Order: sequence, then C-alpha cells, then structure tokens
Amino acid sequence: MLQTNQLNEVMETVNGIFIDVLEDDGIVVKYETTAADIAEWDSLNHIALVVAIEKKFGIQFTAKEIQDFKNVGEMCEGIILKLQK
Amino acid sequence: MNKGDTFEIAFSVTESIYTGFMQLFKDENPLHANKSFAQSKGFNEEVMHGNILGGFISYFIGECLPVKNVIIHAQEIKYVKPVYKNDDLVLKAEVSDVFLSVSAIAFKFCFENKRTANIIAKGKIQIGII
Repeated sequence: MLQTNQLNEVMETVNGIFIDVLEDDGIVVKYETTAADIAEWDSLNHIALVVAIEKKFGIQFTAKEIQDFKNVGEMCEGIILKLQK
Repeated sequence: MNKGDTFEIAFSVTESIYTGFMQLFKDENPLHANKSFAQSKGFNEEVMHGNILGGFISYFIGECLPVKNVIIHAQEIKYVKPVYKNDDLVLKAEVSDVFLSVSAIAFKFCFENKRTANIIAKGKIQIGII
C-alpha cells in the first residue's frame, strides 16, 4: 500500500522535473494530469521527461510500463514501486 | 548498443570543409576569415567554426553507429580549445546511458587534437532509435 506522503513527495519531485524539462515555471502536475493538459508535453518532450525521471530516481521503466501509465499519478506510483524493489 | 560501448573516429579539418562551411552558412566573421584579426585576439591563425564539429557529430551519429534508424534528440557541446585548419581530430564517444523505455541512447563524447592530445571540445548527445 502506498503512503500518501510518499506519493506527494514523488509528485513534487516529478513536478520539478516537468518545470525543468518543459521550461515552464507555471506547471503544476496533479495525479490526473496527462499530456493533453500541458501544451509543451509533445512526443519529443515525452522522451526527455521519461529520461529525466529515470535518471533522477535511478530507475528504469519498460516501454510497456510507460505506455500503461494513464496519468502522472500512475507514473509516480510506478516510480515508488520501482524504488521499493 | 550497450552502456560502456566506445567509438573512435578520426576527422581532419580540411581546407574544403572550412571553405565549404563558410560558403554554405555565410559566417565570415573575421575570427574565422581573417588571420591578422584572429592573431590580434590571441589565436595562432583563423579559428575554425565551432559548428564544423557539429557536422562531424552528425556524421558519427548518421554513419558510424551499428544501426541507421537513429535520430538526434539533443546535443550539448563545450568548446575548450580552438581548432585550426588542417588539425587532425579524434572523436571519442561512449554510450553513457540506455533508456529502453523510450528507445533512447545517451553518449558522452570529446574531440581530441591528434597532435597535441588536448581535448578541444566535449559534450553529450542523446539519440532515439526510430
């Protein structure tokens, strides 16, 4: 079972990565945020975001895992699960 | 390609590369085109355009990797020392990361001057496998 504060911490770190990669200080990601909600989140930036997240947390996703995440929140939960392994 | 794989490719900054670059891109700044001006700024002679090295990187990614289905996502280069006409260079690149989830590969690289063994530029490249 994932702790809410753990999820919030990861979401905050991920938010910082979105701000850095997409160069937009105004970005605030929520659990349900998807690429449709952020104009700069195009296919190339998607790769840059995943690369930055994997490097920051020292984890590696599979292509299927990335495809299966429906929103930022699910990806953050995926990050936590990887960190627990 | 795997993390730790290395590549070495030799290049020469020939007269035709120098003049061709200038003719194509019209950068005739006196630092590149006027020997006296370049010397007045402390250089030995005309300094070659930094983006000639960008052309060599393009050749490396496009022609020297074991696969051709590649695209450059990003690259970063820091110029450390000047390059002069007829300098012989070696590009040394190493796979620094492989991101299987998004089919991306990161390299770190440097260009060395063959004669002096000095690093003249270094940086990072990220490519995608398409």
